[in-house]
Amino acid sequence: MAFLKILLDNLRKGPATEAFPFGEATTPDAYRGKVTFDETSCVGCNMCEHVCAGGAIRFSEKEDGLHFLIWHNTCISCGLCAHYCPTKAIKLSNNWHLSHLQEEKYEQVDHAVVPYRECTSCGKRLQPGGPMLHQLAFKGANPRSERLMNMCPDCRRKVSYIGEAV
Amino acid sequence: MKSFDMPVGPLHVSLEEPMYFRIHVEGEQVAGIEITAGHVHRGIEYLTAKRNIYQNLALIERVCSLCSNSHPQAYCMGLEKIAGIEVPERAQYLRVIADEIKRAASNMFNVAILAHIVGFESLFMHVMEAREIMQDTKETVFGNRMDLAANVIGGVKFDIDEAGAAYVIGQLNRLEPILVKEIIPLYETNASILSRTRGVGVINREQCIDYGLMGPVARGSGYAYDVRTAAPYAVYDRLDVEVITYPDGDVWSRAMVRLREVVEAIRLMRLCLRELPEGPLTAGPLPFIPAGEAITKVEAPRGELIYYLKTDGTDIPARVKWRVPTYMNWDALEVMMVGDRISDIPLIVNSIDPCISCTER
Ligand code: SF4
Ligand code: SF4
Repeated sequence: MAFLKILLDNLRKGPATEAFPFGEATTPDAYRGKVTFDETSCVGCNMCEHVCAGGAIRFSEKEDGLHFLIWHNTCISCGLCAHYCPTKAIKLSNNWHLSHLQEEKYEQVDHAVVPYRECTSCGKRLQPGGPMLHQLAFKGANPRSERLMNMCPDCRRKVSYIGEAV
Repeated sequence: MKSFDMPVGPLHVSLEEPMYFRIHVEGEQVAGIEITAGHVHRGIEYLTAKRNIYQNLALIERVCSLCSNSHPQAYCMGLEKIAGIEVPERAQYLRVIADEIKRAASNMFNVAILAHIVGFESLFMHVMEAREIMQDTKETVFGNRMDLAANVIGGVKFDIDEAGAAYVIGQLNRLEPILVKEIIPLYETNASILSRTRGVGVINREQCIDYGLMGPVARGSGYAYDVRTAAPYAVYDRLDVEVITYPDGDVWSRAMVRLREVVEAIRLMRLCLRELPEGPLTAGPLPFIPAGEAITKVEAPRGELIYYLKTDGTDIPARVKWRVPTYMNWDALEVMMVGDRISDIPLIVNSIDPCISCTER
């Protein structure tokens, strides 16, 4: 019977499964695992929250800044947040070690604060906007643009039109 | 001869999906069936009108696991049609690759289950192990074994670079000989497979047309309808897709169509990887979707999948409606089963490769 040869071949090859947890399980680079968030490059555009089908992401505005919250249990690893994030502050890591006890399910939360900035000229509170956004918007930076980056739109306009005397 | 009614289901008729039949039996033979549907209705169509167009990408992908790429593809095509978005060429080729890799894995799964129902467990394992090559490929290229998350409005969100292409071709080179030299000959000649599947669950070409059947079920009865050639989308018009048909319309023919379609899917993937043009992956950053309507269709692994979309200028769709091939295929079970033995019911049900979760959404 033709199948006997296949059986013998398979027997010779040994188990087809990975030895995990006693050995390593391969994880490809593209694997969509646990979401990571980098508050230094987030610009607070809320796009990730908007596209998140699982409703896993919540932003809330507080005194000290923009509070970011992700509950991993309701994330479905769709990768839409990472795709639409302009600065790639939110990403999907290769970490798939997400199992936990049932009673810990509400603790599977990551929290970060994206601090507001202050205008270096007038002190007004500004939306976050890190160097990543700057890089994205101007495709590079020079000392002048870096200085302007940390000003509110009003002061920036003044500097641009009236000169440096502000 | 004694006649009686017998309930079959709702759990585990052939697959782990709820189907409920009331079978009218005369002796050992099926004399008539009644189908009760609706066990897994989750209201997903309604939910799509409560989510924005981006969230729907993820929701729609989760309607069903085996056709999970076809749903977002049809959905994106609809939005692109309404908004007049031109999808870049590279993305079109990549979409075909995503489509075909899912088809290969889905068809092999169904054919493996056939062996499982026949009781040929080692063949079941062998096909599933070969299918695992496609599962690994999906995980490596797309980041997940089932939900590829390949499509976004206006393009795709994955890329295959040169190293990636070489990897995929290597995987295809591993799968093809197993399929062509081992699996297909076994299904063609093995006595246990043939005796359980030849001449069982027969439906002819005319009945297929009557019932509006789609996909491998119709093609297994010699009805050569395939959306990829009848109304090509993406770049299927350039790929010269071979529509595979078998004349006899039995359980075996449907399985053979599926197996040969995997071989064709491998050819199409190779072709796309070779022809893959350079260029962007999406058409611009964020789409504006005006008010409008669109109907699109794609060839899902189970047959023609039709999407109807209505938008009202906001980013929440006014209506999303889909028609899946299993709806009609399921109805045709009354033709296929009547006259066959009770013991063949699971085989016949499996032969339409039912997807209840898309049908009842
Ligand atoms: S991966 Fe998807 S579900 Fe998870 S946080 Fe991102 S958008 Fe939400
Ligand atoms: S993580 Fe990205 S998408 Fe989300 S608010 Fe920050 S910058 Fe915007």
